[in-house]
Amino acid sequence: MDLLIRNLPFILQGLAMTLGLALATLFFATIISFVLGTLATLHFGWLRVLVKIYVELFRDIPLIVNIFFVFFVAPLFGLELSPFAAVTVGLSVWGSANGIEIVRGGFNAVPKHQWQSAAALGLKTWEIYLFITGPQALRAILPPFVGLLTLLVQATSLGALVGVNEFFKVGQIIVERTTMMEGWNPAFTVYAAVLLTYFVICSTLTWFGRWLERRLKRDRPQARPGAVTVAQPAAQLP
Amino acid sequence: MEFDVAYLTAQWPALMRGLWLTVQVSALSIVLSIVVGVLGAAARVLQVPVLDKLIVGYVEFIRNTPLLAQLFFIFYGLPGLGLRLSLFWSGVLCLTVWAGAYQIENVRGGLETVGKGLREAAFSLGLSPWRYFRLVAAPMAIRVGLPSMLNTSISLLKNSSYLQAIGLAELTYVAIDRISMDFRTIEMFAAICVIYLVLVLFLSFLASRLEYRLNTPFRT
Repeated sequence: MDLLIRNLPFILQGLAMTLGLALATLFFATIISFVLGTLATLHFGWLRVLVKIYVELFRDIPLIVNIFFVFFVAPLFGLELSPFAAVTVGLSVWGSANGIEIVRGGFNAVPKHQWQSAAALGLKTWEIYLFITGPQALRAILPPFVGLLTLLVQATSLGALVGVNEFFKVGQIIVERTTMMEGWNPAFTVYAAVLLTYFVICSTLTWFGRWLERRLKRDRPQARPGAVTVAQPAAQLP
Repeated sequence: MEFDVAYLTAQWPALMRGLWLTVQVSALSIVLSIVVGVLGAAARVLQVPVLDKLIVGYVEFIRNTPLLAQLFFIFYGLPGLGLRLSLFWSGVLCLTVWAGAYQIENVRGGLETVGKGLREAAFSLGLSPWRYFRLVAAPMAIRVGLPSMLNTSISLLKNSSYLQAIGLAELTYVAIDRISMDFRTIEMFAAICVIYLVLVLFLSFLASRLEYRLNTPFRT
C-alpha cells in the first residue's frame, strides 16, 4: 500500500501511456481495417489475394516477433522510430489484420439481395457501400471491434519489451527498484495488482461489447419469415 | 546491407535448438490445456456446485488480462508464495493456464450443441455423468468444438514466443539474442518469420485434415 502511494504519479503516467498506445493503435488499425476490409469485398480477384496475404502473414507471425521486427528493422532503413512509434506500428498492423477479417465478415453478413436491389435501383457502387450495405454491416462489425480493442489494450503490455514506459513496464520498474533499494521483493503483490488493473479495464470493455451486441440485436428490425439470418462472425483469438 | 546466407547457415544449429524448445513447450502446453479445457467444460456443463462459478471467474480473468502480465506473475510473483518453478515449467504452466481458459470455452461451445434431450435420455438410461460425458457428449461435441480448439492451439504456439521475456531460450529468444550480438537483423527475422509461418501453416493444414477426417460419417 505504501508502495502504491509513493509511486502513484509514476503509475498514473504508465496508465496514461497504456491508454495512449491503445487509442493510437485503435485509430490506425481501424482505418486500415476498414479500407482494406472493404476493398476485399469488391470484385477484384488480385486485390482480394493481396489482402488475404497481408492478413495471413501478420496473423501467423507471433505479435512479439512483429514488434521486434519493426523496432529493429526500421532503423536499418534510416527510419529512427521511438519505441512508442515502433509499438504503435507493430500493433496497428497486427490489429488491422484481425480487423480486416471482422469488417469483411460484417459485409458478408449483409444479405446479398440488399446489394442486388440497390444495384437494380441504379445506385453507384460507393453509394451502395455508404448508404446500404455499410450501415448494416456496422451492426455486425461493432461488437467484435470492441473485443479487438480489449485485445489491443492487453497487447500494449508488449511495449514493455522494447522500452515503452507503459503500465506493465511501470510495474516491472517498481519491482526492480524496490528489490534494489529496499532489499525486499514485492513481485507477488505488484504483479497481482497489475493483473487486477488490466482485468478491471478489459472486463469493462468486454462487458460493454456484450451490451452493445445485445443492444444492436434488439434494435434490428424483425426478420421476415423466410429471410436469411446470418450468424455473427465470431471474434478471432489473438 | 546484403543478405548473408553463410551467416544464417552458421547460426542454423542454434536456431534449431530454439525451435526444438519452442516445439516442446508448445506441445506439452497444448496437451495439458486441452485436458484443462475438457475437465473445466465438463464441470461447467454438469453444473458442479461452486466449481462452475470458479471456472467462470477463471475464464473471465484469463481472457481479460495480458498474457505477459500472467507470465511475470507466475515466474516472478509465485516464488513470493514459495512456489519456485524452473523457466521451462513456468512457461508450460503459464501457457497451459492461458490456453486452458480458451479451451474450456471451446469445449463448452461444443458440448452445448449436444441437446438437453440426449442428456436426459442418457441419464434415464442409467448412465453415470462420466459415462454420459465419455460415450454421448464428447464424441458429438468434439466435432463442433474442434476447429476453435485447434485455433487456440495454434495461438498457443505463436504465444510461446512470449516466453523469451523471462529468458527461456526458445526460437524468438535465440534470434533476438543473436541480433544483439551480431546485428544481422534481416537474416534472423527472415529466418524466424519463415519458421513460424511454416509451423503455423503446417498446423493449420493438419487441423483441416483432422476436421475432414472427423466429419467423414456426416458427409454425403
